[in-house]
Amino acid sequence: MIHIALQKKLIAANGEMLLDIDISIEQGKVVTLYGDSGAGKTSILRMIAGLLQADKGSITIDKHIWLDTDQRICLKPQQRKIGFVFQEYALFPNMTVKENLLFALEKGQDKHIVEELIDIVELGNLQHRKPEYLSGGQKQRVALARAMVRKPKILMLDEPLSALDSKMRAKLQDYILRIHKQYNLTTLLISHEIGEVIKMSDTVYVIDHGRISKQGNPIDVFTTKHISGKFQFSGEIVQIIKEDVIYIVTILIGTNFVKIIAQESEIETMTIGDNVIVASKAFNPLLQKIN
Amino acid sequence: MNSIKGEIVTIQTNGSLSLVTIDSNGIFFSAIIIETPNTASYLKIGNQIKMIFKETEVIIDKNPKPTISIQNRVLGKILTITKGELLSKLTIDTMVGQLTAIITSDALYKLQLEVGNTVTTMIKTTEIMLSE
Repeated sequence: MIHIALQKKLIAANGEMLLDIDISIEQGKVVTLYGDSGAGKTSILRMIAGLLQADKGSITIDKHIWLDTDQRICLKPQQRKIGFVFQEYALFPNMTVKENLLFALEKGQDKHIVEELIDIVELGNLQHRKPEYLSGGQKQRVALARAMVRKPKILMLDEPLSALDSKMRAKLQDYILRIHKQYNLTTLLISHEIGEVIKMSDTVYVIDHGRISKQGNPIDVFTTKHISGKFQFSGEIVQIIKEDVIYIVTILIGTNFVKIIAQESEIETMTIGDNVIVASKAFNPLLQKIN
Repeated sequence: MNSIKGEIVTIQTNGSLSLVTIDSNGIFFSAIIIETPNTASYLKIGNQIKMIFKETEVIIDKNPKPTISIQNRVLGKILTITKGELLSKLTIDTMVGQLTAIITSDALYKLQLEVGNTVTTMIKTTEIMLSE
């Protein structure tokens, strides 16, 4: 069991913000922090890593205290068993893939783990290459493997996949999950992508202005329970056109436009720019495989 | 959208699907949804609930007892007809409240629907959404 309670005054874009969170994580779970930029997610990871000082709080990992401001306990970053992966890969450019991993070994640690990790992330053929000859996805696999060398208690991933295209992302997500399972890790992920959160995590914490605004199973947190329609999106009205006895409303959902038939009585309460929920039954939409 | 208030009288669950029967003013409707009492707190026998469905999904017949597969049906009287080029809108006064149907103008002429006609208003079980 991991328990993290942290308080810190942060300087945000619009003035001071008090970060105040309390999170309990079961060993072996993937937990995601989800929220807008500047909500305090990265600060939370940095405080867990010991790279940022909390004003007040405690971090307990399986009864080991990493931080307790009341008892004036604060382990140094290198004493905390964490693996950290950032969006930017932070690899040593002058070292090969394998050397990057070897460099992360602790003194006297068995080198076998390096081979094992190279195997898991399928970089065997590329292990003697330097980072400049690798693609973004390959570099991120190296960074992931390197974060695992010291067998961390917690693997922390700060938007590790946001620079990658969607195909590469999906592949990396699978590597992360494989490593997570193989080493029975506790993984803490920051992600902006709802799809990713749902695929990856057991629990999601929605962070809003330094506080937890929602928490729970990702499907429960991200779907509106208000209405039973399973084909449900929120979007913005961009156009309303009257046609015959009905109206055609164009709605921007993410980067896609959809058109919905509406009635006069519904249109009376809506104008362009309004946020709306588009809902339909799961029984109506057709699925067609692309390519 | 059409909205009918009612009370949940039965819930039959199989896997993640539930077939819910709702009593609205003595008329029974059924809706099938991908929720169970475990996933949706409003799915409780005796709960008041709203059934929501699109006007374009409403089926109209002049026959008071149509022999088709649709079980959700209620008799009503046509209150207004708004004729359009391709589509027409009917408002119908029923035992469960006022309902709106949008049908093709072709169908309106073929059925020779007029204000004051008694019609059977129908909606498929798979087209009804439930809302608290």
